[in-house]
Amino acid sequence: MPLGEIPLHTTSWLILVALGGILAVDSVSWPQIMISRPLVSATVGGWIVGSPSAGFLVGALLELMSLRHPPFGAARYPDTGPAGLVAGCAYASVGTDSLGSLVAAILAGWAVGWIGAVSVQLRRRGNERLLTPESELASRPELLEKRHKTAVRLDIFRGALLTAGFLVPAIVAAAWVVDQPESGLATIWGAALLVTALAAAAGAGGRTSSFGIVGWPLLFVGAALGGLIAGIVG
Amino acid sequence: MIGGGMAFAMLPLLRRIYAGDPVRLSEAVARHLGAFNSHPYLAGLAVGALARAELEGESPERIERFRTALRGPLGTVGDRLIWASWRPACLLIAIAAFGLGLGPIWSVILFLVSYNVGHIVIRIWGFRHGWHEGLGVSKTLHERWLDVVPRLLAPVILLLLGLDAVLLSRQVLDVVAWHGFFAGLALVAAFVALMAFRWPRRTGRIAVALVLSIPLVWLVLAGTSG
Repeated sequence: MPLGEIPLHTTSWLILVALGGILAVDSVSWPQIMISRPLVSATVGGWIVGSPSAGFLVGALLELMSLRHPPFGAARYPDTGPAGLVAGCAYASVGTDSLGSLVAAILAGWAVGWIGAVSVQLRRRGNERLLTPESELASRPELLEKRHKTAVRLDIFRGALLTAGFLVPAIVAAAWVVDQPESGLATIWGAALLVTALAAAAGAGGRTSSFGIVGWPLLFVGAALGGLIAGIVG
Repeated sequence: MIGGGMAFAMLPLLRRIYAGDPVRLSEAVARHLGAFNSHPYLAGLAVGALARAELEGESPERIERFRTALRGPLGTVGDRLIWASWRPACLLIAIAAFGLGLGPIWSVILFLVSYNVGHIVIRIWGFRHGWHEGLGVSKTLHERWLDVVPRLLAPVILLLLGLDAVLLSRQVLDVVAWHGFFAGLALVAAFVALMAFRWPRRTGRIAVALVLSIPLVWLVLAGTSG
């Protein structure tokens, strides 16, 4: 796709890049009010390009996948703020009637999330250097404050850089998928793949969020209830 | 929260406690720059308790022992209460609300408001308890509600996970305006969800087998009907 045909204005791109920085800093630095969750960031990404519903759908799918990776202890987990923003924006900007673009957006978001996880680790190593030597910081508390704030600013920059680097490629990838001729086989395969992955993510998320609870019948009851509601609503 | 963050958070209190005594302030900052870990929302409990200990002139050795003893439980209790219970519950309620027809923006607002009510209450509760109880704060971590809330939320989370998986499946199928196979695919979703929970090591193979077999079944059915 030629750059001029990418369905994203420069102003929107700038807003999204700035938002990527803010969302990234929320997850580990400040204020940790969970605007960095993919449910929120993808909806915001979709909303900025005109379709919050599309963004929410991508965000909800990424959210279920992320439940398996909580930030327990020193565990590595996806950086979901910029990831959700990129994925929600990519899907919403190329049209919401293509299963392929939905899958492409989710894969792009998941990839950005794990690249972001690596960047978080690199940034943490940088923080260790920033907060040494301890003797100097202890004798000059104002230096401690300054370096702490520098670390937070670097985190904002990291999130903005991540969003700037992957937003346009994700949109191009989703747009390329939309342009491909669709076949019945590809559609049924894609839908089955997505629904199966969704269900597996839900089951794995259940294991992570329910210590010591043997609750598989409850998972099934929930699914049956969902089927009933879906049947009634139509 | 690493040591630098802990010392940064305590700095305003330490400056007041050691006002006019830069040497003792420097010693206190050095004490709190050491390695520390906690769930971020419960870090206030440690900040309050340690600031109280500094105010009451506890010995540096006792403060260091207290820091070391507190950091493990603060992480464990917080991870279980917030990351594994409160956050998933609020997220899944918002996703269910969307699946039941609430708009996307309102669903996000529902999540952010419900989650952050709990978040802010815990931060305030932690700091107040830490400040009031000082080095005796460890008994706070044995309060019953910290154990009861995750136990109560665990079954709710499982129920919501099953519900959300199916409601989101319907949204996915709406994308391709494809409702005919919905009931079958919802059953696949419920089935794999069960398998993923019950036998996680086999889930990958089962999922791959299903994904590979569904198009083949479709081809066979298309061939026989044609």
